[in-house]
This record gives sequence, C-alpha cells and structure tokens, in this order.
Amino acid sequence: MTVGEMLKMMRDPLGAPFFPPALQVLLVVTWVLHIFFVTTALGSSALSIFAFTFRRTSESWLQLGRIAARLSPNSVGLGIVTGIAPLLFVQTIYDPLWYAANTLSGFWSAMFIFIMMGGYSLAYVFYLKGSKDGRLVFTAALSFVLLFFAGWVMHVLHSVSIRPDQWLRWYMPDGVIDTRGVTFHAYNIPRLVFLLPLQAALSLSAVVMFAAWYMRKRSDDHAFLEWTAGLGRKLGLVVSPIYGVAGLAWALTEGPEFGVTALIAVPVLGLSAALTGYFLALKRPIDKAPLSLAVWLAALLGVAVIREAIRVASMARFGYSVADYPYRMDWGSILVFGGTTIVGVMVVLYLVLVLYQANASKEGTISPRVERLGKIATGMLGAWFGFFFLVGIYTVLFLR
Amino acid sequence: MYPFWEGLFIHSTLYLAFTSAFHVLASHITVAAAWFNLYLERRAVRENREEFYVYLKRSALGLLVFAYVFGALAGVGIWQTTTAANPRGISTLIHNFVLYWGSEWYMFLIDVIGIIAYYYTFGRVSRQTHLRLAWILALGGTGTLSIIVGILSFKLTPSAWFETGLSLSGFFNTTFWPQLFMRFAFMFTITAAWALLIAGSFPRGFYQREHIIRRAALFGLIGLFAGIAIWLTWFEPSLPVNAKAILPSRAIPAPTFPMIYFGLIATFIGLVFAFVAPQMQRRIFAVGAMVVLFGAIFGAERTREVLRKPDIISGYMSSNQLLFRDIPVRGIASEEKRLSQTGMLGNLPFVPAPDKMANVASDLTFGSSDPEIAAGRVLAIQQCGSCHSVSKQTAMTVAGVRLDLRSQANLLKMRNLTTASKIDAYLKSIGGFPYMHPFVGTDAERRALARYFEAFLHSTYPETAPTSQAQQEVK
Repeated sequence: MTVGEMLKMMRDPLGAPFFPPALQVLLVVTWVLHIFFVTTALGSSALSIFAFTFRRTSESWLQLGRIAARLSPNSVGLGIVTGIAPLLFVQTIYDPLWYAANTLSGFWSAMFIFIMMGGYSLAYVFYLKGSKDGRLVFTAALSFVLLFFAGWVMHVLHSVSIRPDQWLRWYMPDGVIDTRGVTFHAYNIPRLVFLLPLQAALSLSAVVMFAAWYMRKRSDDHAFLEWTAGLGRKLGLVVSPIYGVAGLAWALTEGPEFGVTALIAVPVLGLSAALTGYFLALKRPIDKAPLSLAVWLAALLGVAVIREAIRVASMARFGYSVADYPYRMDWGSILVFGGTTIVGVMVVLYLVLVLYQANASKEGTISPRVERLGKIATGMLGAWFGFFFLVGIYTVLFLR
Repeated sequence: MYPFWEGLFIHSTLYLAFTSAFHVLASHITVAAAWFNLYLERRAVRENREEFYVYLKRSALGLLVFAYVFGALAGVGIWQTTTAANPRGISTLIHNFVLYWGSEWYMFLIDVIGIIAYYYTFGRVSRQTHLRLAWILALGGTGTLSIIVGILSFKLTPSAWFETGLSLSGFFNTTFWPQLFMRFAFMFTITAAWALLIAGSFPRGFYQREHIIRRAALFGLIGLFAGIAIWLTWFEPSLPVNAKAILPSRAIPAPTFPMIYFGLIATFIGLVFAFVAPQMQRRIFAVGAMVVLFGAIFGAERTREVLRKPDIISGYMSSNQLLFRDIPVRGIASEEKRLSQTGMLGNLPFVPAPDKMANVASDLTFGSSDPEIAAGRVLAIQQCGSCHSVSKQTAMTVAGVRLDLRSQANLLKMRNLTTASKIDAYLKSIGGFPYMHPFVGTDAERRALARYFEAFLHSTYPETAPTSQAQQEVK
C-alpha cells in the first residue's frame, strides 16, 4: 500500500458536507484569529513577567504589566474559543493527517488541555492576586512555561501531520507497535520560533499600541499612553527583522523536505521587510494603532497562507488534494449554519461594540445605534430558537 | 485505520471520561447559571434591588474564570482525548455535523465574549443594557446546549439517518428531544450548587444571602424532579432495545448506579437543607455538593457512553472503529464483511502484515518471540483495545488497586479461560453477548489473538499458568 493509497483509505467515507476548498479557506481565515489571540496571550504574559521582574522601579512598566496580566488570561480564553473553528475544518478536509498525528502523539494530545488549564489558572491567579503589587510572579512565569509548552505540543502535532511518509516508521519503530504516544516525533525549531515567540512579540506590539489608543478617551495620563504606544512601535521595529531571519531559517530547514524553500523564504522575507518598513515609517504610533493592528492581522493572514501552502505541497507528493476530497452538499447543514451565522455575527458584533464603548470613555456610554442593534440582535437570537425548533419539527414529521 | 493510542498509566477512554465529566459540570453550570442570573437581574431591575448585583457580580466573575473558560478548555479537551482515543468515531460526527458544530461555535463565541462583556460592564452601562447582556448569555448558552445534544444523541440513535443519509435526520433523532429537556432540567440542579457556593461565601445576613440561597435551592429541586421525571417517562422509554438490554448488564461497572443514586439522594438532601435552613449554608457544603455531582455526572455520562456498546456510533461503527453497515444512500459499504474475508493483518493501514512485524522477545509480548503472539498483540490492540486494557501499559496500580479498564486478563481469569484453546472457543462465541461484536478476521488471526491473551493472562496472573496450576494440584 503506497502512502497515497493509505491516505485515501483513511479519509472518512462520508465525505465533506460542503465544497471542500471553501472549508479550506475557512480553515486559513479562522486560524488567523486563533493565532492572534494565542500569541497575544504569550506576549502579554511575557510582558507582565518582564515588568514585574526587571522593571519594578518604573511605575509606567508596572502599570503596563498590570494591563498585560489582565490581558493574558482573557486572550487564552479567546485563543481557545477561536481555536475551535480551525480545529473543525482541519478535521473535515485533512482528517487522515489530524487523526494520525493525534494518535501517534496520543499522550500529549490528551495532556494538552490539562497543560492549558494549568497555564490559564496560573495566569488568572497572577492577575487577581499578584498583579496589583507584583507578588506571585512565579505563577506568571509558570503560566508562561505551560502555555508555551502547550504551543509546542500543537507544533509537534502539526509537524507530525504533514509527514505521512514517516507515520508507519514512528508507529512501528523496529517493527514493534508503540501505543504509548509519548514521543515528540517531528518538530522544526526555526518554524516554532517564528510562529510562537516572535509572533508573540509582534502581536504584543500591535496590541500594546491599540491599548494605548483605546484608553485615550478615558485616561488623563497621556504621557503613559504615548510611552506605551512608543514601546509597541519599538518592539515591532526590533522584532520584525529577526522575524525575517527566523523565517529564512524555517525556509532553509523545512523547505527542502517538501520542495518549498523559495515558497517560504520569499514571502516571509517580504513580510519581514514590509513590517520593518511600516514600523520605521510609523511616526505617531498612538494615532495609527488601529491601522497597525490591521497590518499585523494582514501579515498573519499571509503566514496562514504560507502554512497552508506547505501542507498542500507536502500532501501533493502523495496525490492528496483538498480539491479532490469527496463531498456531498448537505442542505440541512447549510441551512442551520447559514441561519446561525447571520444571528451569531449580529450578536457578537453587538457584544464587541458594547465592550468597546463601555470601556472606551470615562462615562461608558453606549450609543443609541448600538442599543438599537442590541435590541435587534437579541430578538434575532430569540427567534433562532423558533427557527431551530421548526427545522426540527419539519425533520421529525417529513424527513423519514 | 489509524495508529492506536492505548493510553498511558490509565486507559485512553478514562482520560476522555474524566475530561467529559468535568466539561459537563462546567458547561451545564454556565447555561443554567445564566438563566438564574437573568432571573435575579430582572428582579433587580424591576424591583430596584441593588443588593442582587453583589451576588451577580461575584457569580459572573466565578463563571468567567471557572465555568466558561474551563468549560471551553474541557470542551477542547474532549476533542483532543476523543481524537486520540477513537478518531474514527469523532470523524463520523465531524463529517456529518461539522456545520452544526460551526453553528455551535457561534453560540459559544456569544457565550465567551458575552460573559466578558457581562462582567466587565457591571456599573458601566445602563441596567437595561446589562439586562440585555444577561438575556444574550442565557439564550446563547441554551443554543450551545441545543446543538451539542443533537450531535451527542446521534451516537446512540442515528434513527432515520440510515435511510435518508441526511444530517438533519441524524441530528433530530429519537433521543434528541428527551435528552435536550432532561439535560436542561438537571442543569438547574447543578447550578443550584453553584449559586449556593457563591451566595454561601457571603457573611450571614449579608444583603439577600438567605433569599438567594432559598431561590437557588428551589430552582435546583424543581430541576431535579423534572429531570428524573423526563428520564423515567420519556428518555428511558425511547432508548433502543439493545441499550435497554445493556442497562442492567455487567457492561456497566458495578459502582456506577450506586454512585448515581447516591449523587441524586445527596443532592436532594443538600438542596432541601439549603431551602429549609439557608442561614446554615456554608461554602464547604456547596463544594461537597459539587464533588458529589461530579461523581454522579461521571457515572451518568459513562452509562450514556456504555449504552451504545458495542458500537461507537450505534448500528454503524463498532467501538473498534470498523464500519459494519451498508448505507447505500451515502455509498458506504461494511468494512467488517470485507475484512472477515481478507483478514485484518496487512489490510488496514496501521494493522501490519506479519512479515512487517519484528519477532523479538520484549515486555510487550511478555518475553515471547513467537510471531503468532506478536500478531495477536496487534489484533488485540485493534479489536479489543478501545474498550479493554489489553496490556499492562494501561493498568497503573494505586494503593494496591489496579486502575485498568475491563482488563482482558481479569475477564479471562474470572471466566477461568486459562488456555489458548479455551480462549479461542470463547472468542468464537463473543458475538452472542449484547455488548460485544463478533471477532473480525480469519480463524488463524483469532487463534493468534487467543495466544496473545493467554500470554497476557499468565503474565498478569502467574498462578493461572499451567505449570503453576500443576504445582498447586501436586500440593
């Protein structure tokens, strides 16, 4: 049995319920949000540790450290929630890859969430109990280690998943099946450095600038806000070139294996140069913070596409393509998803706007337009149940 | 079809069971607590009861830190552990219901962003706006519940899906409705324990402490009675025949039902106590209630999982991840039929042919270099490993208790099946049990499996080995 035949046999016989390339696009796009929050969690955690360990005498650093300590656990929560969407899509169109990687590394796959829980809990302990006066910094440090380790586990799972030609060798080293799932079978350190610590620094850079911009209306401490935004810019400026170097190392180490050296090197160097140029040209970081955030999200989208291109190239070696993935349009699924998307987007938009407006100014005034949106969105959420139960009743009565 | 992860120290299924029980506890709290908070917040707004906000804020922080994010984390944990323990089972669900899960994700996003908005806007937005956030949290949580129950219940009763092949038929299946309403009811019982925990932490006589405790206890008691009533009159009667046969069988481990009954009775007593004497309520009682509920939920969720045995998707996929049914409308053919003819070894990607296996004496083959035992190990892992400990790898011993999962060595010893020939005869007949599938493979493969189990048994219980038995007879 060739690797290509094996992969085809491993695909779920039910096929996908929707056009697979569309799911591939969703996979790429939703990963951007996920990695943004994950790297923000790591970056803000590192910042709070740095502030409370090495800059204890500076009030500005401590103030920023407190903001970072609050940001970190909330970003973990959002990272987890936004991670569910790419997790759904990867299982649908790359099921052989994802399932094989998770079973080969079963112990770490199962441990992942306990590691995350530890990291999250400790981040909260530091935020609630330590960040006021800088006590319990070790909880923040331990939290960072655990969160980073969780990132390492995910990195290994992904690295294993794109090397199907090695799976049998890893499963049966020396001809004996190993069902413990404890070995870290594959990894690429430059890739990890590029995706986690360096992107954490860049996410932090964008978020710090954005936080300064956001707090302008409700804070009188403009010097602190200017300093914060300037720090974000400086961080971006320092890290962006290193980002390119790590990206090049990634291209040179992982690229040849899949024949994609140039495919990785050119865009990551381009991204690095563009980001460096952007931060150099950024004169008033506090005013341009929303733009900086958008630029960084666009860069992350570029990285998501590169990541996907590597996977596509790796799988193409064995004749596996998402475009060939069997599918059958399941209209019930599409109806439920479509209806829920309309409602979900409206409600989430309303919630984000309330959060934004409530904390953007001293008074926390919610504008009448947002209030109106809230009425409509809440009504739609209530109506969703009517829609859901009607679909259910129709199914029970007529789809038999 | 996939590499097999047996688990380490304990069986892979137990990782899943613990994660699931925790997820159920946390996620059920979020849904019903959102309704309870909504109830209190509506009263706070209508009756201008400022004091309720003290409870609401503390509850919201607890929900934000514990229930929502830990619930979410444990939810992802279920994905990870299920994926590692039984990838084809979750694959079936994904390929049927990915867009339903996508829909649930929106609800989930509403929940998590909602609780952040809810907590961080206390006192910063108008009461009406905050009340709207409470409504959104209650509705969003219930939306999450409604969707996930359709996917979960499909595993037990795929119902008309076999004929139509449509996801809707599988989703709105015969046990969907009773399970949805039963879970919704029991959620209030779990939430009562949560409310007691929060309100119990206030000093005695503080604001509306006693009032809130009594209301929470009342909500919990109503949920408890409604949940039990729905189980008895609706859910249990709608179970498939096979599940009803399994319910009283030994497939459900002995302590399960006592654990559930104890949990129900203890919760009932605890809630009555809270209702009658709210001033006596202490945080430690609520923590105790949470622990008891965790035990009861663990038992109940395990029972729900076992009810499908021997299948992971009832009537479609057996626990060993092989399809055993044709579904013409989806172009699916039984794999068991084919593999019974061709044999297992060498005919699935990660079930190697004998010539690919190394025949070396190791602990994994109990010191034997016999190729038949090596082949038997591969078959034991593939055919039995999903539900049974088939090696010592998943049998950690704690305080003299071996934490294995329905160990084959135990079962064979209990049945006095101590030789390969007896075990082989037994394997031929296992399809007769309501909770077992017949062996899939050739006669030679079945004999190899019997040889492996014989070696496993003798290694685990040396007294069952023929030499040991002969020695005992001589004595």
